[in-house]
Amino acid sequence: MQALISGFADVLNIYTLAWICVGVTLGYVLGVLPGLGKATGVAVSIPLTFYLEPVAAIALLIGIAKGSAAGSAVSAILLNTPGEPSSAPTALDGYPLARQGKAQKALKMGLFASVIGDFLSTLVLICLAAPLARYALLIGPVELCAILVFSMTFIGGLSGKSLIKGLIAGAFGVLFATVGLETESFIPRMTFGLLELDDGLPLVPIAIGMLAVAEMIVQAGNMRQLDAETARIVDGGAPEDRVVLWSEWKRCLAPILRGTLIGSVVGILPGLGASVGSFLSYGATRRASKNPEEFGTGRIEGIAAAESADNAVVPASFVPLFALGIPGSVIAAILIAAFVLHGLTPGPRMFQEQPQLVAAVYAAMLCASGVLLLIGYTGQRIFAQVTRVPIRLIIPGVLFLCCIGAWMETGSIFAIYIMLAFTVFGFLAKKLDFSFVTFLIGFVIGPSAELSFRQSLQILDHRWTKLLDHPIALVFIALTLVVLVVLARGRSAGPAGGVRPARDPQITPTHHEGRIS
Amino acid sequence: MRDFIQRPTRRRLTGWLAAVALGLTGLAGMGTGAGAADYPSRPITMLVGYNAGGQTDLVARAAAQVMSDALGQPINVVNKPGAGGGVAARELTQAKPDGYTIMFHANSVVNNDPFLMKRITFTPEDFEWGGFITVYQAGLITQKDAPYDDLDGFVAWAKENPGFNYATLSPGARMIMQEIAKKEGLDANYMPVKGGGEMINAILGRQAVMAMSGGIHAKYPDDIKTLAVLTTFRQPSWPEVKSIDEFGYALGMDGRAGLMLPKGTDPAIVQALSSALQNAETDATFAKVTGAANIPIMFLDADAAKAEMERTYKEYGEIYRRAGVEPQ
Repeated sequence: MQALISGFADVLNIYTLAWICVGVTLGYVLGVLPGLGKATGVAVSIPLTFYLEPVAAIALLIGIAKGSAAGSAVSAILLNTPGEPSSAPTALDGYPLARQGKAQKALKMGLFASVIGDFLSTLVLICLAAPLARYALLIGPVELCAILVFSMTFIGGLSGKSLIKGLIAGAFGVLFATVGLETESFIPRMTFGLLELDDGLPLVPIAIGMLAVAEMIVQAGNMRQLDAETARIVDGGAPEDRVVLWSEWKRCLAPILRGTLIGSVVGILPGLGASVGSFLSYGATRRASKNPEEFGTGRIEGIAAAESADNAVVPASFVPLFALGIPGSVIAAILIAAFVLHGLTPGPRMFQEQPQLVAAVYAAMLCASGVLLLIGYTGQRIFAQVTRVPIRLIIPGVLFLCCIGAWMETGSIFAIYIMLAFTVFGFLAKKLDFSFVTFLIGFVIGPSAELSFRQSLQILDHRWTKLLDHPIALVFIALTLVVLVVLARGRSAGPAGGVRPARDPQITPTHHEGRIS
Repeated sequence: MRDFIQRPTRRRLTGWLAAVALGLTGLAGMGTGAGAADYPSRPITMLVGYNAGGQTDLVARAAAQVMSDALGQPINVVNKPGAGGGVAARELTQAKPDGYTIMFHANSVVNNDPFLMKRITFTPEDFEWGGFITVYQAGLITQKDAPYDDLDGFVAWAKENPGFNYATLSPGARMIMQEIAKKEGLDANYMPVKGGGEMINAILGRQAVMAMSGGIHAKYPDDIKTLAVLTTFRQPSWPEVKSIDEFGYALGMDGRAGLMLPKGTDPAIVQALSSALQNAETDATFAKVTGAANIPIMFLDADAAKAEMERTYKEYGEIYRRAGVEPQ
């Protein structure tokens, strides 16, 4: 505690605070701009960190991470173009709210949920980094595989109207995720001789193409209607639509806390990431709700759940970095670079050798939470005006930013081709009502699920009885089965038309399980 | 297919740039071919074939700063990740050999990857070599409290404990254990892992009893020990640990990081870059960056680097062929 106070003493000076503000603002603005995000922020900031003091450099990077996670909600809500895949669930309810003239309400809830999730998760990091990280090591490939299989059951909950279409989209996600070099033998899979595909299809251009560019094309098709709506929104705008009401706070409290918990856990575990966190949290909140069918039409809890988890992942992903020296996320990997540049080695010895610096970093993270609230709150008023801008002026700007964002990460034109290819894919998915969220779940989870499954086979020595040594995995396998049964019953009992027999929802998960057990 | 995607845009772009340059200066033909005398007269682009923030990227950026101070021109680091550096190296072969596009990378992209990946066909003759500055401390690693202290001890233990888990990062890592297992009659389980972080996880989390590390384990001296180093020489961080050749397995291979240049770069420019790189040997900031990551500095100048590449390309190719590893 005393260390933390002295840490604040190191941070609360104009110089460091200024860099925190720069980081948060930069991250937030990049997050807001469709197509740009963390990847861009990192590319911009790496050379900068060379010239800064250690604390300032680290504060800048942390600010970018926190800011972009919160900012990406803004474009998701206002334009239905999530800045990052982890904000895709935010758009599901945020955009309908914005079109109902409640953009400010949605934005505020998004920001508050982000900041709360971020702040609580930072506290988790500060209090529990060392013990939690040791515990996280117990989560080996076997447990991870079970958790990932469990995550896949959420495809059922996020499929939209048709479960079978949700599963098809999810399967496509898994299929596209198999592109690239196989890990063990380096055998290229579906690369068609293109060296650029050796490392797999890159997530960022795919997400930009499917989420942002395709959405712009759809909106271009509905220009008249959208502009007519925009005119109405300007005329409307009752005061209660601009703030988060007390009754809504009460409804959102549980989703925010649940989201924070899920986000923190997902962040600490290796190999999951922010997208999994927000998908899981959104799915869990939807499932816990009495009226799950209302999700997707503008339920504010959906925003609260997705954004709290999205932001809680960021500080939690530093837990393995600080405690063990293992990066839990892209930003964490960059942070290692920043530490090393200044002659520090992240890991447990950092606490003994550099307690002062660790305390200062913690203090900087807490300050960044506060700065995020300030900057987000101010920024929103400006960004919310976007809803008044005619769509024909927005589209070209967004498309330009999308190209930059896709190009930025690898600096190659190839990424833009990928973006365009997946724009077509995303456009067809939208028109035919296939869920891009389940596609992303498949794409993000697929490779980790495959690798952890193969690792599990080796660890279990191909004998399913050895599974008894992994109680955590057993719990998640049991949970998976329970969810599947519940899902199957709900579907077969439900009146919804066109629903396939109850066995279908199980295709993906049981396929995996059958092989494990 | 590859060409279809890459070339037209590139050509159009360069065409454009050329046209602009022509229009602006009217000095057609002068432009970039100014020669070695006044090199460098404008900023240099340094390609790095790994993601920003990785170990090699860090070293590259630190080296770029040192070289830029020596040469008096900025050096812009551009990350072009993909295929373990294959994408960046291919771009380098297509760049103008004028010294303004250079690459900082691990030499494994030429003396290792072609033996593992069929579509990577570089030979040392495809590039000019501007010198190496650091080495990778590859080794076979295990938990600190493991009941053996060197590779011989491990082999003895493994004979009693068949079906142990070995974490493999790549086919090269797999080949090392396969060769040992073949010779000693061991029964190993090969657990694939993706990336150094996951490999460290597998050791710290005790999912594997041994792994091949490219050098990242130097950061975990409290938890991890090295059983054998995989270079042909003993490594500065663990002078007491014997090399794999000393244990009787002819599998030692040295990975170095340094400068690659397009074929046909003026020898004077190669020399200029090589001596600029040599400054990193004694530079305090460079020492701080490499020291924090425990990366040893071992400078080889341009001529030594070229000789090293020609020798190792032959020898390492032979090691993989002997082990029966087919490029995929």
